[in-house]
Amino acid sequence: MSVSIRVDGLHKSYLRTAPGFRLRTLKSALLQRSLVGGHRAEDTILALEDVSFTVEKGTAFGVIGSNGSGKSTLLKILAGMLQPTAGSVEVSGRVAALIELGAGFHPEISGRENIYINGAVLGLSRKEIDRRYDDIVEFSGLADFIEEPVKNYSSGMYVRLGFAVAIHTDPEILLVDEVLAVGDEAFQHRCLRRIEEFLAKGNTLLLVSHSLDTIERFSDEVLWLEKGRNRLLGSPRRVTDAYRLAVADREGQAHLAAKEARQRELEEGTGPGAGEAPDDEGLQAGLSPGKPDSRRTEEPRRWGSGEAEVLGVRLLDANGQERYHLVSGEEVCFEIEVEAHQELNDFVFGIGVFTPREVEVWGMNTGLSGYVSGRLQGRTKVRLVCPALRLGPGEYLLDVAVHARDGYPYDYHRRFLSFSMTAGSRGVGVYFPRYRWEFDEAVHWESPSPEDGRD
Amino acid sequence: MTKVADRLFRFRGLLVTLVSRELKARYRGSVLGFFWSLVTPLLLLGVYTFVFSVVFKPRFPGSDPYVLFLMTGLFPWTWVATSLMEGTQSLTANAGLLRKAVFPAEVLPMVSVLSNLVHFLFAVPILVAGLIVGRLLGYPIGGWTAVLFPVVVALQLPALGGLTLGLSALNVHFKDVKDIVGNLLALLFYMTPIIYPLDFLKAYPPLVWAIEWLNPFTPYARAYQAVLFQGVLPEAQIWMQMIGWSSLLWLSGSWLFGRLSDSLVEAV
Repeated sequence: MSVSIRVDGLHKSYLRTAPGFRLRTLKSALLQRSLVGGHRAEDTILALEDVSFTVEKGTAFGVIGSNGSGKSTLLKILAGMLQPTAGSVEVSGRVAALIELGAGFHPEISGRENIYINGAVLGLSRKEIDRRYDDIVEFSGLADFIEEPVKNYSSGMYVRLGFAVAIHTDPEILLVDEVLAVGDEAFQHRCLRRIEEFLAKGNTLLLVSHSLDTIERFSDEVLWLEKGRNRLLGSPRRVTDAYRLAVADREGQAHLAAKEARQRELEEGTGPGAGEAPDDEGLQAGLSPGKPDSRRTEEPRRWGSGEAEVLGVRLLDANGQERYHLVSGEEVCFEIEVEAHQELNDFVFGIGVFTPREVEVWGMNTGLSGYVSGRLQGRTKVRLVCPALRLGPGEYLLDVAVHARDGYPYDYHRRFLSFSMTAGSRGVGVYFPRYRWEFDEAVHWESPSPEDGRD
Repeated sequence: MTKVADRLFRFRGLLVTLVSRELKARYRGSVLGFFWSLVTPLLLLGVYTFVFSVVFKPRFPGSDPYVLFLMTGLFPWTWVATSLMEGTQSLTANAGLLRKAVFPAEVLPMVSVLSNLVHFLFAVPILVAGLIVGRLLGYPIGGWTAVLFPVVVALQLPALGGLTLGLSALNVHFKDVKDIVGNLLALLFYMTPIIYPLDFLKAYPPLVWAIEWLNPFTPYARAYQAVLFQGVLPEAQIWMQMIGWSSLLWLSGSWLFGRLSDSLVEAV
């Protein structure tokens, strides 16, 4: 197999905006054909550092990474727009690149003329474009708007036109950045089908995307860029899974940090005072000491009479590790630390799980479970264990309370902490039960779902 | 140098498409259409004709009728001036396009030069008609040498193209370039034998020498005057100067552009 793209030890530095160095920049551009040559290291930014990979002809290569990881720079270098600062890049074959939304279109002129200009930029003669014109318009689905100036197009229409022209110029290598995500569902499907055909003909695709599903679907190999470096290069599933984990990790740490901040806030505050109303002045001032004027408009986050106090809540996984980024279906323990400042014989512990849009997902307390209170004194930890918490992917907020059987609050915390879920399987909504499909002989499947029976 | 020329040739289709778009865009939606591209030179023509044949009446030797003499120099100058003004800014004005899409940058300054060449050519029939009328009125002007007019244009094109390419690339690094160009053009207009024949200044030899040898546009202006107005062949020296300036400006301009093109997308 021959190689379509070979990147070896690629470095790319940008010049920081340096208005004072115009002459030096020009000198460097003239003598070294690069802007950064004559500049000190601190005046430059390293966008790509020692990136290497090869893409075989007829395969699809995916690039993932967070914003600012150098993906677009890489694509622009492959497209020939930017020159590497060091290292080598070989691209063999006719390249078409879809880099930025609507780039390459002249807003004032019609879609028709833009097709000709765009086609000419991609190396087609007028006759060649004439021959493909109808196909391009049909594929883009813009026949009714083709005489309109493209400035009147929606962003989806831009993408449709751009992709239609690019794919009809018969490139051997297609470089696509994110842009496809803008089109509507139907167009995306058409694009994806077209890309499959394109690959089946032995052409090469390099795809940059945040959509891991798309990456997994097409790529034969995936590169994960982090801060301009090769973080991981390998088979799609392996790389995307590692990427997901790292993202989850980061989010988990963010939750942890948020929780710690909240804890500090509580420790600095006065705790539930002797007040009775949610509007308790002292408590509010304690919770937001810097913003005395905003407290009236904010919903109170904590109220109660203070006979008992919620000291903290932790989410623990099956191994007893504190975790705030969970996978749907795993065991979760809500651990509530409570202190009763006096002996109580009327008490209920409870939690409530909400979505950020205030939908109550699940609420449970010891009263509902049928426990009748006897005696509570001093500090204790209460654990509510869910052997399998089956929530849909997303963010959740937790309320925690200790109150009397009639609802009289000792200490009520709204939105005590947040945690997030990722789903192991597909589906929509907040509830991800175990499920399976059943069919009789009347239903025949081309291929059965691999997901079936999964948690 | 050759790289720039190669790419311009490779993207000639794009060049043609963009030039025709440029022309259409200028005429679309305006009542008087392409007449507008004649307004500036005709207005200048009117003003200078008034000033120099009614108000001052200097004796410009061999420039009768003055309006036709002036027209012969003024129309090509308009091509030069507008090409340089638009072309110098062509890259910075299209920064968005260059930064976001794969686009052959060298095409942009050339579109300025070529679309303004078309405007110039549109105006040529007026000039020709004037010359014919002048001849019919008995002035000793014009002649078969007019067939050399396209040769002069073809010789001026690389000079103007090279200069525009070089200036457009420099303007990416120094936005002052376009202001310098604007002011230099105003000066250069008077330093080119357009409103006066070069002989008019012969009392000031150093000035004549500077205009003749340092101003790249002098030989072309004199050549237009020779083949169109005077109806004579340009002197050998003028031919040599035209060829010399064309080669020099094209080679240096496209060399400069080529050197700067690698870093163009980042700098623009």
